[in-house]
Amino acid sequence: MKQILQQLVAGHSGFIELRYHKRTANSFVAQKGRVDVANHSVTEGVGVRALVGSAWGFAATADISEAAIKRAIRQAQYNASALAKVRAKGELSLARGRLSHLDFTGPGFNELVAMPLADKLGQIVSLERKLAQASSHMHTARCRYNEIIEEKSIVTSDGAACSLRLAQPELSLTAIAEKDGERATGQRGAGVNGGWECLMAHPSLHDAVGETAKIAVDLLAAKYPEGGQKTVILSPAVVGLLCHEAIGHTVEADFVKAGSVAQGKIGQRVASDLVTMADSGNETIAGYAVGNLPFDDEGVETENTVIIENGILRSYLHNRETAAEFGVQPTGNARAWLFNDEPLIRMRNTYLMPGTRHLADMIAEVDDGYLVEGAGSGQADANGEFMFGTGYVYRIKDGKKTELLREATLSGIAFDVLKTVDAVSQEFLWDLGTGYCGKGQAAKVDAGGPYVRCKITVGGEQQ
Amino acid sequence: MSDAAQVDDLTQVAANLNKLAEFALDTAKNLGADAAKISTGASFQKRLVVDNKEFTLANSLASRSIGIVVHKDQKKGSASVNITTEDSIKHAVESALALAKYSVPDPALIFATKAEAPPASPLNFLYEEKLATVELDQMREIMQEVLGRLGADERLALERYEMSVDISFHALGSTTGMRQAERQTMASWSFMGMGRTGDEVTGFDYDGNFSLSAAGILPRSLVDADQFVKRVLGMFKPVRCPSYRGPILLTPRAVQELLMGMMLYHAGGRQVMDGKSRWDKAVGTRVVADSFTLTDLPHDPRFSGATAFDGDGVPTRSQTILERGVLLRHLHDCYSAKRCGATTTATSGGPFALSLSPGDVPLKELTGGQSQLLVVDRFSGNSDPIKGDFSGVAKSSRLYINGEDRGSVTETMISGNFFAIADAVLGISRESEIVSGSFSSPYVLIDGVSVTGQ
Repeated sequence: MKQILQQLVAGHSGFIELRYHKRTANSFVAQKGRVDVANHSVTEGVGVRALVGSAWGFAATADISEAAIKRAIRQAQYNASALAKVRAKGELSLARGRLSHLDFTGPGFNELVAMPLADKLGQIVSLERKLAQASSHMHTARCRYNEIIEEKSIVTSDGAACSLRLAQPELSLTAIAEKDGERATGQRGAGVNGGWECLMAHPSLHDAVGETAKIAVDLLAAKYPEGGQKTVILSPAVVGLLCHEAIGHTVEADFVKAGSVAQGKIGQRVASDLVTMADSGNETIAGYAVGNLPFDDEGVETENTVIIENGILRSYLHNRETAAEFGVQPTGNARAWLFNDEPLIRMRNTYLMPGTRHLADMIAEVDDGYLVEGAGSGQADANGEFMFGTGYVYRIKDGKKTELLREATLSGIAFDVLKTVDAVSQEFLWDLGTGYCGKGQAAKVDAGGPYVRCKITVGGEQQ
Repeated sequence: MSDAAQVDDLTQVAANLNKLAEFALDTAKNLGADAAKISTGASFQKRLVVDNKEFTLANSLASRSIGIVVHKDQKKGSASVNITTEDSIKHAVESALALAKYSVPDPALIFATKAEAPPASPLNFLYEEKLATVELDQMREIMQEVLGRLGADERLALERYEMSVDISFHALGSTTGMRQAERQTMASWSFMGMGRTGDEVTGFDYDGNFSLSAAGILPRSLVDADQFVKRVLGMFKPVRCPSYRGPILLTPRAVQELLMGMMLYHAGGRQVMDGKSRWDKAVGTRVVADSFTLTDLPHDPRFSGATAFDGDGVPTRSQTILERGVLLRHLHDCYSAKRCGATTTATSGGPFALSLSPGDVPLKELTGGQSQLLVVDRFSGNSDPIKGDFSGVAKSSRLYINGEDRGSVTETMISGNFFAIADAVLGISRESEIVSGSFSSPYVLIDGVSVTGQ
């Protein structure tokens, strides 16, 4: 397909970007002894972006014949021309960055494609059965598996010509335990950029059935944490959520342009000097993060973009257009969910870099606080105010991890919270591989980090 | 291609999809399926995007889809494709059957019969020829007028404003004889942004709405834009909210986010079927305060979810779910109805257009009657539907002291329990609003909420 796109892009005046994208997705959900979802879907087509003056036009076609792609090119150019006449600006320039010529096949791609659907479905049904039988208190066991098989070719009129094949499987287990009318939920999950074996080797899936059931049952008798400003140790999943939701979105350059709290703060201190945070398309810490991409949907090779270095804000996340506007190199953050979505600035793998401490020592130094495990859903605001849920909490008393408590909701102003960070662990985990980011369109992302100690507001009861 | 030609093209695509749907059903039977259901869709969308108060993108999208569900030996599999050739459809049917082969037997699997799903009466208001032929230039002119309102105050940082016009067709059919089809035109728009002056940045806000007529786009957009600007600019200079346990006033948006999800969860047939609903044996009894009456109005043109038939192909109907706090029915699709020994309420994929009945108290009285009152406009947080506990941040929210608006609040969390607050209603306003074209609600004053300020 790449060669066809190269032929089609040749000879056109102005900038044109062609993106062929085929997504094969398989989804299974087993619950309460039945299979609720056993679905196979294929979505395929070509998206076309054209730049005329300073206006973008976009068109897409699910008909991948040369004639249909040519029609889509004409439509995109027509759309761009229609807008160009009302744009105040003149020509829009695009930063080049490193335009890719890679033909890339990701780890585990061939393994996952070759594995029969029946084998995968059989294992999902089996895991649900084991979870259902893990405790006499089990009310509902649920096992969900999704896999995305990506095939893309991207060609631009100014030189990018690349293709990729990626496999992104994910698995999650949910247990609802019940006793005397009380119910509690335990969850475990992981997603990877890799094959089936890589997924099953993810640290978060170690003894997943037993751990999921145990948390659900243990939470039946648990109380809620008290609300207020607390010293907390955030787990890698929660740190990842904080990095993604509360910082990552505010440094997306389109959001910066609109007026996010990060606007104008490059070079300023925004966090404790223990904090170094990045968004990477080719992470090297563990190798399996879901957001690994050789290049983005503009054909720009990805990189490890350091956003905060020792507490100082260093970079925003860019596409080619904003990079030119800000006078920097593109960071490879332009991503589109499907062939008929235009690329937007999106995160990839967002994380806090590991520190030098050990979790056990960090706990030992806390007189009264919480260890917060597991990430729930989260949202952040333009002013950096964030809220996210957590899975469960351990009380820390006199330097010891003590009773298990139910989930908590955490909130604060991101940069303020990061300034209170006083310890960062060596232990590191990518732990949001089952997550999807929403920004008008979805994106498969990952996030994680070390254990981090800070002060944060915990939601709770008022008397 | 002109827009008129695109409408003709879509009509032809829809006709072809009908033929392909019959081909898919025949293929499923020929390949050994006991029963099959097919869904087809085709759409054409025109969309304009404004970033930072300037037009940045014009977009034209044509899409098609075919989805098939097969039952074989009481086992289910499904597949979908957007390449609508006979080869790709045959491959999809084979994939669905392959998955069904390795699935788990379920004797409750069912498709609606022709008797349960007779042809639905079309909702003629869903399609307007004039809207179908709105051109990109016309959309741009409307947006430029709306931008005049949005751009009037430089403190409004408009991250994105977009408008789209969609022409769509979707149809369902099954080997049990069900056949349904619906076409629709819809214009929709959304605003996203915040306030910014100097170093002060307000919270992010958004709003959206729709019109089923070309003539309705501009006047409705202008009203929405004015409301959006007022709400965002009202968030500057936030005040600190005191921590207390007591009443909060939920705006219609907050009612949707905080109360509706919980009510629908426990009224839902799937939750009843799985033993997750607390209202599984509560039909005919009072489950929430007697001031709540909740109705689904799927044939009401005020709502974007209006539709003539549900996801099973069963014709929809208006029906009351809660009447003066009493649960009148669970909301079943064909599958949950069969599992529960009930009949479908034609709410597969629904409910579609919910309306919470207004009360008789003027809004001013609701805000004026409390010594301190947090008026919550959006809830950003987590809810546990099983226990009913919720906890999160009150967004776009304001503090009232003795009836006086003291300003917006920041870093304010609320927490409580749905079952407790749904029974602790202090008043419901006579004023009612439709939220984003999807849900009609009054303002609701509830008690027993924990408010945690800074």
